[in-house]
Amino acid sequence: MTIKVKLKNISKVYDLYEKKSDKFLSLFRVRNKEHRQFMALNNVSFEVSQGETVGLIGLNGSGKSTLSNILGGVLQPSDGSIEVNGKSSLIAISAGLNNNLSGLDNIELKCIMHGLSKEEIEKVRDDIIEFADIGDYIYQPVKDYSSGMKSRLGFAISVHTDPDILIIDEALSVGDSTFTQKCLKKMREFQDKGKTIFFVSHSAEQMRTFCEKIVWLHYGKVKEIGESNEVVKHYQEFTKWFNNLSNEEKKEYKSKQLSEQNVVGFRRNENKQEMDKYEWLKNSLVLIPLAIMGLLMVLN
Amino acid sequence: MLKQIRQVIKEQVEYRQLIYQLAVFELRGQHQNNFLGSFWQFLSPAIQIGIYWFVFGIGLRGGADINGTPFFLWLVLGIIPWFFIAPSITQASSSVYQKVSLVSKMNFPVSVLPTIRIISNSQQFFIMLGILFVITLLYGVKPSLYLIQIIYYICCMFIFLIAFGLITSTLATLARDFQVFLQSIIRMLFYLTPILWDTSLLVNSFGEKGQLIENILKLNPFYYIVEGFRDAFLGRAWFFDDMIYTLYFWIITFTILYFGSKLHIRFRNNFMDYL
Repeated sequence: MTIKVKLKNISKVYDLYEKKSDKFLSLFRVRNKEHRQFMALNNVSFEVSQGETVGLIGLNGSGKSTLSNILGGVLQPSDGSIEVNGKSSLIAISAGLNNNLSGLDNIELKCIMHGLSKEEIEKVRDDIIEFADIGDYIYQPVKDYSSGMKSRLGFAISVHTDPDILIIDEALSVGDSTFTQKCLKKMREFQDKGKTIFFVSHSAEQMRTFCEKIVWLHYGKVKEIGESNEVVKHYQEFTKWFNNLSNEEKKEYKSKQLSEQNVVGFRRNENKQEMDKYEWLKNSLVLIPLAIMGLLMVLN
Repeated sequence: MLKQIRQVIKEQVEYRQLIYQLAVFELRGQHQNNFLGSFWQFLSPAIQIGIYWFVFGIGLRGGADINGTPFFLWLVLGIIPWFFIAPSITQASSSVYQKVSLVSKMNFPVSVLPTIRIISNSQQFFIMLGILFVITLLYGVKPSLYLIQIIYYICCMFIFLIAFGLITSTLATLARDFQVFLQSIIRMLFYLTPILWDTSLLVNSFGEKGQLIENILKLNPFYYIVEGFRDAFLGRAWFFDDMIYTLYFWIITFTILYFGSKLHIRFRNNFMDYL
């Protein structure tokens, strides 16, 4: 089986600035002092083959959304390498619809943005409308939609743009159970077609029935990867254990874990570009003619 | 050395269909909440032209013309390109941070976002250009061969705006303050470009020094474009008559494009981190 997604030592670091000006200065690589950083993901590595369905599980703030954003190509990792073979599509609750346009226009707009041709849009439009199943509201501007309708439309569009890799970030939790059933059915279809799916959810039941493999993220680190029943069982044991702790113990546990995520001076290699020595020379080479012409202009 | 520029230009050309389609969508979303709809596109410029004509033409100049051109005609020739330029600059600079979250989930060339805004604004501009043509006819200005230059100056304007949009949109995404800064610069440039007043007044009143000041004002690329529109419509001069100025304009456009595409490509994968 071909490897679809390969993550190697992925880390994502967020800088925590005390002042706005620090953030601004960091753009110019002016390191006045080491600032605090937060490790949202710490050394995450795994491989996913074609046709696998992988669940991401973990507490709030454990890095599930960050990881799915990295998988979807929305965010760049601070360190490590990611290889994605195929077109990935991220479905999140905030589906990125234009509020002023009608549902119908939004379908067209999103499809254009996904690079579909006019004929292709013509073909999928009716499928999307039928799948979203929001009746005559499809002709109304999206701002009049309920949150359920929005997620229905968003999901319907994303699903029909024919992605190779589908990343579903808790998008199913908004719709009612009839819609969830429909989505799960659609996802089964994708599974049968041999597509790769990443699935983020808090529902242990959905996870168990749906995923073959589960990645348990725990405060930015991978705690366990493995066969779904087993990982879900361990995760449930953990939450049970955690819930039985007293409030103080809970607090202590959390702050201990969080303090491990706070680091200082992480060397990121994102947009590390070889600043070649001649860079300044090149830049000034471009500026010289401008200066000469400007001078000519002024002195006439 | 020109790798980044080539990539950015390639994206603009390759995705021209996409740019056009999305520009049409931008237009559809606008003015939807107003009862008069797209009529406002023409009503608000008309009100502004009226007030500038009254204050500057009648009030300050007492109705006198400028080198034989009626003030109203002279004003309209300068202000109509400006009505396109000014909003295009501000909207293009905000385009990336407003839209990047929508498009980053797909393989989408972010560098076309400012271009989309500029193209969608151009619909109004071309209609106004038509009106402008009618106005010049009404004033009895016969169309001359010089009018062909209008194509050249429109190209200048678009190329400059796209290059400028690339750099401003990147900077505004990295630091939102830049947007505010840019807005006040635009407001300033409105008065430093010969739209409301003729800069040759400086030479008349201050002689040698006035000439120097006028030359400094000419460094502003919009000066070139606005005066170019007048040259074309009024049949005053060819763009190659002042080769130094034309060369200067293209060099500054190239410089902006060079730094713009470098900056854009360097940061484009990380735009989401700056939202």
